[in-house]
Amino acid sequence: MRHVKTGLHTFMAFPAFLLFALFFLWPLAQGIGMSLTDWDGIRAPSFVGLQNFFSFFKDSRALGDIKTTLLFTLGSAPLLNLVGLGYALLMDGEFHGKGLARVIIYLPAIISPLIMGYIWYFLLQPDRGFVSQAMMQWGFSRGLGDWMNEYWLEMLVLILVNVWQYAGMTMVIYLAGLQGIPQELYESAKMDGAGYSSRFRYVTLPLLIPSIRINVVTNIIGSLSVFDIIMSLTDGGPGYATESLGIYIMRMCYGSKTGYSTAVAMIMFFIILVPVVISMRLTQERE
Amino acid sequence: MISKIGRQAAILFICALCLTPFYILLTLSLNKPTRILSEGNIFIPDFHFHNYIDGWVKSQIGTAILNSALITLFALAVIVVLGTMAAYTIARFDYKFNKAFFWIFLCSMMIPGIINTVPLYTLMIRINAINTLWGMALVCATNVLPSSVFIFTGFVRSLPREIEESAIIDGCSWFAAFWRITFPLLKPSIAAVAILNGFGIWNNYAQAVFFLQDRSKHNIPQALSVYFQQFAGAKWHLMAATAVIAVIPVICAFLLFQKSLLKGLTEGAVKG
Amino acid sequence: MNTRIFKLFTILAIACLLLAGCASTSGDANASQAPKTVKLKLFTGKIETIDIINDVINEFNASQNRIVVEQEYQKDASNIIKIKFASGQVPDIMTTYEQGFVDEGKFLDLSDRSEWWDRLLPSMKESCTDVKSGKQYRVCTNMTMAGFFYNKEIFSELGLKTATTWDEFTSNLKAIKESKPDVTPWFIFGKEAWHLGHLIEFIPHGYIKQSLGAVEAKKAMLANDKAKLNFGAPDGAMATFAKNMLELKELGYINSNVLTATSDNCVQDFVSGKAAMLSNGMWVLSSLLEANPEMESKIGFAPYPAYMPGSKPVVLSAEDSGYSISASTENKAEAIEFLNFLFNAENQKKYSEGAKAPSAFKDVSAQWAPAAVVAEVETALKDAVNIGFTNEKPAGFSGDDMGRMVQDLLAGKHTPESYAAEYEKTWDGGMQ
Repeated sequence: MRHVKTGLHTFMAFPAFLLFALFFLWPLAQGIGMSLTDWDGIRAPSFVGLQNFFSFFKDSRALGDIKTTLLFTLGSAPLLNLVGLGYALLMDGEFHGKGLARVIIYLPAIISPLIMGYIWYFLLQPDRGFVSQAMMQWGFSRGLGDWMNEYWLEMLVLILVNVWQYAGMTMVIYLAGLQGIPQELYESAKMDGAGYSSRFRYVTLPLLIPSIRINVVTNIIGSLSVFDIIMSLTDGGPGYATESLGIYIMRMCYGSKTGYSTAVAMIMFFIILVPVVISMRLTQERE
Repeated sequence: MISKIGRQAAILFICALCLTPFYILLTLSLNKPTRILSEGNIFIPDFHFHNYIDGWVKSQIGTAILNSALITLFALAVIVVLGTMAAYTIARFDYKFNKAFFWIFLCSMMIPGIINTVPLYTLMIRINAINTLWGMALVCATNVLPSSVFIFTGFVRSLPREIEESAIIDGCSWFAAFWRITFPLLKPSIAAVAILNGFGIWNNYAQAVFFLQDRSKHNIPQALSVYFQQFAGAKWHLMAATAVIAVIPVICAFLLFQKSLLKGLTEGAVKG
Repeated sequence: MNTRIFKLFTILAIACLLLAGCASTSGDANASQAPKTVKLKLFTGKIETIDIINDVINEFNASQNRIVVEQEYQKDASNIIKIKFASGQVPDIMTTYEQGFVDEGKFLDLSDRSEWWDRLLPSMKESCTDVKSGKQYRVCTNMTMAGFFYNKEIFSELGLKTATTWDEFTSNLKAIKESKPDVTPWFIFGKEAWHLGHLIEFIPHGYIKQSLGAVEAKKAMLANDKAKLNFGAPDGAMATFAKNMLELKELGYINSNVLTATSDNCVQDFVSGKAAMLSNGMWVLSSLLEANPEMESKIGFAPYPAYMPGSKPVVLSAEDSGYSISASTENKAEAIEFLNFLFNAENQKKYSEGAKAPSAFKDVSAQWAPAAVVAEVETALKDAVNIGFTNEKPAGFSGDDMGRMVQDLLAGKHTPESYAAEYEKTWDGGMQ
């Protein structure tokens, strides 16, 4: 990169960083300190060193939560990207009622998650949900079946609902990316006799790399810190079977284990960091 | 021709999927409190419109909609202005601190915000930001600032550097070139970020419970929360009616603005 | 075209900023005009009474010009109060009470407010007393009860009597199951962990409380006196409870969807005659009556039957709506003045009737529920040992956690013995 003289542009990231430092980094610095204490939120904390980190790996509930979180991400992050890209390719271009269709796709996100969660359960509750009742009326006597009794089925439902709710959001980024692809490239590819699939393979996909990277990274982070979908559908249950790390942290934080919950948050940070760095590297090479 | 019909069908299917939850909400909002869901056709409500009047009166949802709107607009303005500026310099100039900022933002996205709760609360008390819309808006803006910078950076990178360089040759500063050339070109991604984060801010509950304590400052989820009884279920008919009331202004605003706001998304798009 | 929208957007945003700024400065201006006004914060998680308390507050605020009370309602009050304590912004008066806060001296000692204690029922004063210090840190204005709600119509149709022993109880369930196959004999909404936690609280913990006596049980729990609690024993109260529950599930006496059913499902099935019994507290009464006003004459209320050798039936009769004052408040006198106003007999009558909970004050006579229901409750209280809530549980072992262990049990992950052992282990772990 050519050398550029210092000017106003040099400091353009400072306002954003200052705001962020005040409202996030500064509180965070105080928060991280708590991970080395036994603070319960009430009594004065005392220093326990790395004790919290050790007890995490001794807690079978916590290890189960890691498994659930990773499984969820393995299913949800790739699927979200595929479905989101599919949506975007469908919605790009001209068709009747395009404006309305776009508003409709965002509807699940407009309704307060406080309520949305319960609506998912109204829909999907094994024997009484709307879906089960509809299926029974159409002759499927078992309805949805008792999906909450089987771990794999439960994970599958959670992943699908997550995709259902958030694919519209992934689509937005892909739509914005598609829009940045110059029309002329398609024209010239067409002139060279390229069909739809090869145009997609050699024009669309390479130029979508920045959007892919954004979506892959945000979906990995979002899936690994999954919280609301699981809370509302299974409440992490039965028992702690489908509890995610994010829910565990919240429960520890409010359950008089404030210091410990901070330590778990640190652990979760490293769990997320690894796949994110890998996918950043991978997409950087392709660019 | 067949592919066109297939495409329309797929779009219809997706829309139907996305409308289902809303249909449930509508059904619930029109049921009488005495409705037994396992009796009669679950898909046809009682058409009890009185819920909407009760919901409006009991929840103070009008004030809450206004509060949510002000917080969202202010927070989005902060994100758009600060976020695009930061993304521009991060994408274009290889300063060491720019790189550091980028990685700090990226890493912060991976830290669950809940561990900040207590220190952030203390900070908000100290700067007198409890029960203020601006305080809440700044907190919300901070929440989504990292992901916004990340998204904007990606989009600035995908724009060719030459577009600014030609302006520089004409005697523009890099700072001015950003506002004149790059910022307008970022409109599609600004629309994307506004959509991605706007609804989350509109529906923020996790932080609103701490920082918006006065009933007159409550936002939409807080107004809805008055229908939850801790141990006895919820008043679904009223909650659903109130939630529908709260969704209507968003849909209207969206339909009104989407033509101009999302125009960027289709300008020059692949014509099917 | 697009630029115009964006300009409009920016202008709007700046306008909000200014509006917000103005709003906050005007608030300050008011405060400086009348510097003597004391602001009191009342923090509550009780949604049922939010409007009644607001009326009382408005009346109080209008009655004098020195004190302004503000109510803050939170859905998750018991969690949020922890963050408030940790952050140092403690409300002056609160309805959230926890042993941990008491131990750390977070509440004002109210033991010398005899003007309140003299009016309170002796049993309620005892419930408000902290066992460790023998002092009172909260005033509970109401009582609540929990037991079995049952459909009187179904019971009389089948000629059933409410059970006092577990054998009678299961034979009742059996009779219902056999003659009314479409009716769930006992509906349990186990998706909601707190409900299963309450079953532990009322049945095995209930046994400990009735066999040791209220105060001795509290002491045993605080000291984790294993000889008395005996949670882990394979023939103890925990294991027997677990064995009984698994048996009921096996026989189909409880709903097959026990792990996925919600409180809403339960209310709806009960009021439409599809469920014969449910375990819950009085707080569910208004939901039942709202869902079907005709239930008024059909609701029966019975104690939990005795299920251990030599034990007696129990019913929960516990404190409700407790008010505490922060130990660190600068407005102690004002807080007491407001509570005096709130506690006057006229306001308490309104409160009791609105909250559908009997008053704890001797001089308040309120029609807190339909007369038929009140009669049912009074009979149950007379016939069974009255037990209270356990506030002496180990920190970090919440009612929700207890309920989750029952979910695991019902999902087939435990035998009664391993369940009891696990319970003891978790309890001990929380005690450290």
